[in-house]
Formats: sequence, C-alpha cells, structure tokens
Amino acid sequence: MADKLMMGRRTFVAGSLAASALAALAGCGKKDAGAGAGAAAGGTMKFYINDPVAIDPYNTQESEGTQVEHILFDALTDYDWNKKEIVPKAAESWEANADATEWTFHLVKGAKFHNGDTVDAKSFKRAWERICDPKMTTPSKISYHLAPVMGYDAISEGNAKELSGVTCPDEYTLKVKLTAPMADFPYVVAHPALAPVPQAALDDPASFLTAPIGNGPFKMDGKWESGQYINVVRFDDYYGQKATLAGINFSIQKDPDTAFREFEAGNMDFTDIPAGRLKEISDKYGTSKDGYTVTKGAQALTGAEASIYFLAINMKDPVMQDLNLRKAMSLAINRQNIVDTLFEGSRKAANSAFPAIIDDNASNAWEFCKYDKDAAKKIVDDNGLAGTEITLSYNSGGGHEDIMSIIQADLEAVGLKVKQASMEWASYLTALGDGNYQVGRLGWNADYPTMDNFLYPNFYSTADNNYSAYKNEEVDAAIDAARQIVDEEARKAEYRRINVMIGNDLPIIPIMFYGHNKVGSARIQNFYFDAQNKGEFATAKLEG
Amino acid sequence: MTEEMEKNEVTESPVTTDGDIDTSAPARTLWGDAWSRLRRNKLAIFGAVWIVLMILVALTADLWVPQTLGSPTEADSTTMTQDSRLPPSPEHPFGTDTLGRDVLCRVIYGARISLAVGVLATAISTIIGLVMGALAAYYGGIWDTIIMRLADIFLAFPYILFVIAMLAVIGPGIQNVFIAIGILGWPSIARVFRSAILSVKENDYVDAARAMGASDARIVARHIFPNSVASIVVYATMNIGGAILTESALSYLGMGVVPPDPSWGIMIQDGQTYLATQPWLMLMPGLAILTTVLAFTLLGDGLRDALDVKMKDA
Amino acid sequence: MGKYILKRVLQFIPVFLGVTLILFAMENIVPGDPIKLMAGEKKLDPQTEITLRASYHMIETDDNGNPIYDEAGNTIETPMWKRYGLYVGGLLHGDLGTSFQRTGQPVADILLQKYPYTVRLAIVAIILEAIVGIGAGMVSAIKRYSFWDILVTLITSILVAMPAFWFGMLLQLFFGIVLKDVTGGSVYLPISGAGGPNAEFADWVYYILPACTLAAVSTAYCARIMRSQLLEVLNQDYIRTARAKGLSRRDVIWHHALKNALIPVVTYIGIDFGAMMAGAILTETVFNWPGVGYETYRAITQRDWPIVLGSVTVIVVVVMVINLIVDVSYAFLDPRIRYGAGKSE
Repeated sequence: MADKLMMGRRTFVAGSLAASALAALAGCGKKDAGAGAGAAAGGTMKFYINDPVAIDPYNTQESEGTQVEHILFDALTDYDWNKKEIVPKAAESWEANADATEWTFHLVKGAKFHNGDTVDAKSFKRAWERICDPKMTTPSKISYHLAPVMGYDAISEGNAKELSGVTCPDEYTLKVKLTAPMADFPYVVAHPALAPVPQAALDDPASFLTAPIGNGPFKMDGKWESGQYINVVRFDDYYGQKATLAGINFSIQKDPDTAFREFEAGNMDFTDIPAGRLKEISDKYGTSKDGYTVTKGAQALTGAEASIYFLAINMKDPVMQDLNLRKAMSLAINRQNIVDTLFEGSRKAANSAFPAIIDDNASNAWEFCKYDKDAAKKIVDDNGLAGTEITLSYNSGGGHEDIMSIIQADLEAVGLKVKQASMEWASYLTALGDGNYQVGRLGWNADYPTMDNFLYPNFYSTADNNYSAYKNEEVDAAIDAARQIVDEEARKAEYRRINVMIGNDLPIIPIMFYGHNKVGSARIQNFYFDAQNKGEFATAKLEG
Repeated sequence: MTEEMEKNEVTESPVTTDGDIDTSAPARTLWGDAWSRLRRNKLAIFGAVWIVLMILVALTADLWVPQTLGSPTEADSTTMTQDSRLPPSPEHPFGTDTLGRDVLCRVIYGARISLAVGVLATAISTIIGLVMGALAAYYGGIWDTIIMRLADIFLAFPYILFVIAMLAVIGPGIQNVFIAIGILGWPSIARVFRSAILSVKENDYVDAARAMGASDARIVARHIFPNSVASIVVYATMNIGGAILTESALSYLGMGVVPPDPSWGIMIQDGQTYLATQPWLMLMPGLAILTTVLAFTLLGDGLRDALDVKMKDA
Repeated sequence: MGKYILKRVLQFIPVFLGVTLILFAMENIVPGDPIKLMAGEKKLDPQTEITLRASYHMIETDDNGNPIYDEAGNTIETPMWKRYGLYVGGLLHGDLGTSFQRTGQPVADILLQKYPYTVRLAIVAIILEAIVGIGAGMVSAIKRYSFWDILVTLITSILVAMPAFWFGMLLQLFFGIVLKDVTGGSVYLPISGAGGPNAEFADWVYYILPACTLAAVSTAYCARIMRSQLLEVLNQDYIRTARAKGLSRRDVIWHHALKNALIPVVTYIGIDFGAMMAGAILTETVFNWPGVGYETYRAITQRDWPIVLGSVTVIVVVVMVINLIVDVSYAFLDPRIRYGAGKSE
C-alpha cells in the first residue's frame, strides 16, 4: 500500500514536472523580439509561397518562383499596371526598325549584379543562350519566350552555340533580330525569365539554382531551403530606387490553409485567403480600395488577375464539332451563379477570351458568352440536340468538383446529358494533351499582359497551347498580320476584331476570370500586388 | 496502417492468459470455451456492441438520416451562406460544415465508407494471404522461398507510400481504396497463416489423413484451415481497424475517397483549416474514427484472449 | 555469426533489385507523363519536349547527347531495361539522377537536404518512445491491476486507435491555440515548420509537437510490450527462485527481470526507427515539416520518379540494415539465440 502511494506521488511529481517543463520550454525557446532579422531597419516581411519550381531565371515559370525571382532580377522592361504601359527597367530606352523585326535596347549604365559584376549587354545574351541551351543538366522548359528571335531553332536543336539574332555592338547596347515582325516585343522582354545573369551562372550552375545572383533590388540571404524558406535582403548597390524593407522571408508552406493558420497566429504578413472565407476576412480586415494595394484597415485584395478559367472544347470530337451545340452550352451556363456561390464574387463571370484589365473595350464581349437559358433551350430543341451526351473532364481537388457540378446541372437543365470524369492532375493533363477528352477544364495565365498573349497561344492553329486543336486559317492570317502593326491603337483594334472572330467559333467556353484572394497584415503599408501576382516589394513599407 | 497491425501481433492486454494454441482440442469445445470467456470480457463486449450499433446505423441511414439531417453530399446554394459552419446545437448536434451540410449526417454516412473499406479490404488481404500462406507452408521448398521473398519485398516498402503509389496507378475512389489496401495487406496475413499451418502440419492427424490418401486441397480445407481459423479471425478483426485508419490517412492526403463522398479522413482535412475557429469540424470525425477503431481493437483483444491465440512474430 | 550476417546481406540484393524494379515498372504503368507535366497547364513546345526527354535518357541519343531520329523523323524511345541498367549503373557511382519537377536539382542533394530533418525527428521520437513507453510499461506490470495499470492500458488503447495525423492536430489545437488563449498569448508552442533564422522560437522547440505525434502510437505499443514481457519474465522459475532465496522484490526486478524483459522491447524500438522514417509522411504533412516523407508523397503525385526511386530505395536499405543490426544484437544480448545453425528464422 505504501509502495503504491509512493509510486502515485512520484508519478504525480513527474507529471507536474513535465507540465511545467513544457511551459518553461515555450518560454526559453522563444527568441527575443529584438534579436531576429526583423530588428534591421525597414523590417522583414513574412510572405507565404508554395515550394517553387525554380528561382533561377532560366526556368522561371509559375507564380511561386516568379514571386522570388522577379525581385532578385530586373529584366529589360517592366509593365506598369497603373499607367497600362511598358516602362524602362534594366534598359533605359529602346527602339525598333520600321517593320518591328529589329530591336535595339540601351541599358542603364553602371548597374551591378549582387556579386559586383557589371550588368552589360553580354549578360543578357548569356542569359538568353542559357535558356535555349539543350545541354543544360535540365534544359529550360520556357525557351518558347525566345522563339521569335532569329537563330532560336539552330541553338535549341543543338546545331549552334550562339543565339545568332542577339548581338552586343557595345557594352551597353543589345540588338535583337526577330524572324518575323512583332510589335509587342517589349512586352516579351518584360518577362522575369529573360533577365540577365552574371558569368557565375555558367561557372557554377548548381549553386546558381538555389542561390541565384541577380541585378534586382533584393539579393539572396543564404540559399533556398526547400520546403522551408527563401530569405532575401535589400541590395544596397541597386542602380534604381533602393528598397525600404530590410528583407523578405518567403515562408514556404504546403498549402494556403497552413499558411493562413500562421497568419491568424500573427506569424505571416501576406497570404492566401482559404476557400469560402473571403467575406468573413474582408469584414475583419477591410477590403483594399483598388483591389491591389494593402494598407492598414484595407488589407484584403480582390483585384482582377490577368488570367482566365475556361472549358476547352476538343474540336476534333465529332459531337463537339457542332457549332450549335457549343452555342447552346455557352448560353446555358450561369456563370454569375458560379462566381457568387463558390467564390463570393472574388472572380468575375467571363464574357471573352481575356479580362477587362487586358483591354476594356466593350466590343470584346463574345455574343454567346452570356447566360440565356431560354435561347439555349431553343437551340437544343431546334437542332434536335436534346439528350446529346457530353463528358466533362477535370482534375480532382482544387475545388473544381463544385464548379463542374453546377455546370453539369445548368447543361442538363436545357436537355443535354452530362457525365463528369474527374482525374488525378498528372493523368488529366496527359489525357488533355493527347486529345482524349470532349470538354475539359483549363486555366490560362498571361505571360505578357497583351491580347496577343491570350489569343495566339490558345487559338493559333500551330501554337503549342492550342488544346482545342482549333484551326481557322482566317484567324491565323489575321494574327500574323496584327503582330506587324507598329501603331499601338491600330494593333489593338485588329486584335479586338480577331477576338470576336474566335468568339463566334467558340473553340473554348469562357467561364470566369480569376481575382486576387489575398490578405496582408496590419503591419504592411502600401504594398502593391499586381494582376500577374507579382509583389512590388521595392516600394513596400512595414510598420514597427 | 500495416505498421500498426504488425505491432498488434506482439501486444497483450492486461487480461491476457498465457499459453500456446491448443490445436488438438476438439473444435466445439474451443469455440464454446471461447464464447464463455468472451462474455466475461466487458471491454470486448462493449466493442462488439458498438460495432453492431454502427453497422445498424450505417445500414439504415437512408431510412431516417436524410429526412432529419439533410443530404450528406449535396449543398443548397440558396441557404449556404447562413448555414455555413454553425456551432453544435440541438438542431445540428455536431454543427455544420462550410457548405452548410450537417456534420452528424456526414459522420453517419462516413461510417458506411469506413466500415465498407475496413471489411472489404480485410477480406481481400485475408483471402490472398490465406492462399499465399497455404502455398508457402504446405508445399515448402521453392514455393516457400519465392512467396516469402515476395512478402519481404512488399514489407520492405514503406507501406503508406506503397498504397499511395498503387492508388496513383488505379486512380482514387472508394472501391480502389479497398482494393489497394486489400492487395497490399496480404504479406502479414500470409506469414501468420504460414506459421499457423506449419505448427498444425506436424500433427499426427494430418499425417494420418495423408496416409489415408486425402488430397492436398482436402487436407488444407478439412484439417488445417479449421485449426488455424482462430488466429485468422483474431487477425482479421484487428486488421479491420488498421484498414479504417489507412483509409482515413489516404483520404486526408487527398488520395482516397473522392469528395463529395463523406469520408472521415476528408472531413478532418476540411476541418483542419478551421482548427482555430471551429474545431468541432475536425474533432467529430476524428472521434468517430477513434471509437470505431477502438471497438475493433477491443473486440480483437477479447477474441484473442478468448480463443487463446498467442500472437507472436510469425 | 559471420556466415549469418553474410547470408543476410546477400538477401538484401534480391529485395533491393525487386524494390527498384517495381518502382521502375511503375513509372511505365502509372498514367501521367512527367515531362508533359513539367510546364503545368501550359504545353511544352515539341522541341523543348524532345530536348528534355534526351536529357533524362528517355529517348536514344548520340555520343554528344543529341537525339537520334528514325527515318520517319521521330525520336526513338529508350527501352525500360536499358534505362534500368543506366539507373543501377549510376547508383553504383552514387548518382541518383536529377529531379523531374525540381528544376535541375540532383536527387542526392534533395535527399541530403530532407533526410536530416526526418532522421532527427525520428531520433527525438525514439527517445521519447523509449523513456515513456518503457516507464509506463514497467509501472503497469509492477502494479498489475492497479489504477495505474488500468490508466496505462486505457491510454495506450486510445492512442493506438486514433489516426496519428488527427492526434497531431489535437496537439496543435491544445498547445498552439487553446494554451495561447488561456495564458493570454504568453505560453504556447509553434505548430508548423522547422524554425530557421526568421523563426519565432529556437529550432529545437519546433521538434516538440511533431516528435510527440510521431512517437504516440509507437509509445503505446512499446508500453504494452514492456508490460507483457515483464509479466512473463516475473512468472518464470528463476525469478521465483530468486524471490524464494530472500531477495527483495525491488532487487529482483531491477537486477534480474528487467534485463531479460527489455530485450524484445529494444528489438521493437530498433525496428520502429526504420518504420518511422517512412511513416513520417502524415506527421510531416500536418506540421509542414521539411522532411523526406512529404517529399516522397509530393514526388509520387507529381510523377517525380527519380525522387521516388531515390528516397524509397534509401528507406528500404536503411530499414533492412537496422533490422539486421537488431537481429544481430539480439543474439548478443540473449545467449539462448544462435543464428546460422540449422533452423532459419
């Protein structure tokens, strides 16, 4: 009995010791608020990203890698979303010849890489050739950006060592010859992937992958710790306006839910809003006035993005070749209901191949890209389409199930028979690429904020991304012609005409335009997060 | 998780009685004794009652659940906003989820999926395991070597990764989940059965049967199987709990049951987002898994003690 | 003994070849072309696709690494057996290949970055498991049928029956959220990540909750095994004899019973260490832990086969080696066991 009591007491003591140890642990494990990197002047912003594919410009493609890469590197030009025009960045000026086949860029003099090397014309040529080089350990997946440049085929097929269309007449002049006219070329070179690299990128490509050396306003602090963080700090020898922030801690989280929990715990400055919580978050933190700028009390961002969510139609499928069927489907879908019930209005019902922030001319709307159930029903009945069987393919997860279920109900309401086929992401993409589908969900994020970048990749008959296998010789010829128009307004008018032409054929059914769904902490002042999901960290400030 | 199931082989509860399996005893006495012993084990009876209750609720759910609690899968978009994530109340005892669906309703329908996966997966792995174990033990030699090496390769794989890879091959969905769990679960059962047969095989009555000209299949079916059935029953009961845990893990990772089907694992994953604000969303389905698996474990423990099966490393 | 070890090591070879071959075959069976996946929804242009396939030896190339084309102008797929040969050849030189989806990064580098986190977490979990599990098992056995015994049995039964990832979330809920609310924000533990230079706590604090989660189920089993082993040993003749000779109960337990009872427990813990390396996927997912379990899961869903092959192969080898060490040390600890003489296993 005594034995038992003793054991009891001992266990009790052990238990209380353990409990107090835990509490003490938390206390002494906590770092002093002043000791961290946050103490440096300007503060360190904690920013949520997923693990990127690459932060080295030669393979910068998705939003997460771009987020980091575009502040480490400055490309030749930049797109200003407020002015809606291309502005200088690493190049202070540029000019083209009469038919827009030869471009000359004059670089900012005296700009430095983070390692002290000079940013010269050769560093651009070097970077671009690296992108085209088929003998890299892993060749770049985005060399298509340079496809318009003369000599691209020869170098990418391994038949040449140089990109012959790019020359450096002097240290600060870069000359680019294109194989065909392209008036939008300054938009192309604004892409972060086309930034310059120093000689170190060739000398030690392995370290460059995880700790790239750029010419941007921030530089790497240590290397990319996969699955954990990427830290960058202000680059004090930057040629342009120096950043106010001391640094940024890109905190790599597996999903927005985990990131948001950290945000709610006060450990994150900028993150995604989890599905279905936009209203609650907007009420709590306030909505940003322009939709893109975070300031205290107006912290939730809902601005439109340069991207579209659509149903690709397999134009080779005998059933889907019927234009009347495509018209009826497009008219039957209640897009507003989808964006209201599932996205709380943060996305916008689509009425065209590109959103209004790309071009807001009223003539862009597609005739059949609206909700008119009666008209849809009439087309179905008049053409004997009732009971037509259609399979809707999509990738599982990511909330597509709910969208597809609403679309299915809408299509069935006008007399069509719809089957859902949900596949795992990897399997789905393969099926789509092989043309094993009827109607399939897709998204398109613009590389360059131009109408051409929505129309050419998706609708030009030989373009890689033309999943619909759409082929209209008139459209092809018109796009070729539009690319040569040097006059900005005339070119835009021509693209608007092409857009309507495509709209009448309905090779895709636009569903909605994406919108921001992000929230920043109250510490942030004046942080602009643009329509292509790139943060303007250089001008952001932190309080406290 | 097999890892856990393997551990089961070497555990005993406080009420264990030691002793080797008494295979020569007449079958009726074994089962009769077992029943009287099992009846006295309150925990095992509690487990059994809970399981029966769950089965009854799951089977009759269509008759009364949708009428009182609404649909487990469909959301009503007109009332979604005001019904979203309500705390537990008399009207919604477990609260509601993001799409305004009743959580209790989804937990009840989730029981169907969990029980179906648990039982069917165990059935598949038991059948494959029995055939493989019988082939290995009865024929020995090269058969034994090949099958046991194959079992080694299967067991060498990290189990959960193996199931995930298998699901990548055959695609997600309820039936594929129990097929994957079932197919990959055979090696441990084969080992248990193999050693059970090996111990029975040495007995005189098997030799006698063989001397009388009985065929191999007949000897296995008439003599060896009935005498190993106790260990199979115990093993299978415990395996059901393991299969339910595996299913929940797969669904949690998004590789298992496809939404909107109400799997407990998916519900936990959905609820994880609201851990700080609406914790009942992840607590309720987790408690459902806990009680169900616990019931199978208690019953399995009870059966093991009652049937006097010693579950050591096979 | 030497002969036995040699025999066991030789047995590694078929298991190892079997495992890699199954994984290699999987790459061909599982739907989803890893190269096409590389650019996401944007399609690769055909020339880039060929270039990438050539760089991963998926199509035949000449000595300069340029793709070879047949008369019709198509590339020639490299047969699976040849690629498997290349892979095993690379392995012998310590080359595990290059990741598909993590641009240009060697698999070895990625694994070297991820494994330490998983191994350290597993070590902390094992220490926890050994201390708590053995302790609870002892209490439970020595005080058989007491309140403590029933409590241990109850807790272990519950731990064994709950999904480990759910247990992790409970810990997050109580130590990360409820505790923070109750103490007004002064006492709590971090609920995700592994620390780092900008983290709020010192790195070791980040191990507490994930390690508890990873150890939970194993600790429960450890306690149950310890209990039943100790009970069995205490029932044996030599212990009874020792007691009859007048030794105190405490002396008998500490000097005689414990050593023998511990052998199977230590064996179990050893094997469990291997299992933890693989079983950490869920814990790593719940706690956003940068380890190899989650990396492998990511690799499977993204069809990053070089990573799947590399990490699973390493796990399999580690598990086999640990099992061998455990078996051999078992023989040293327990003189009744002799390997290599007649009966196998």
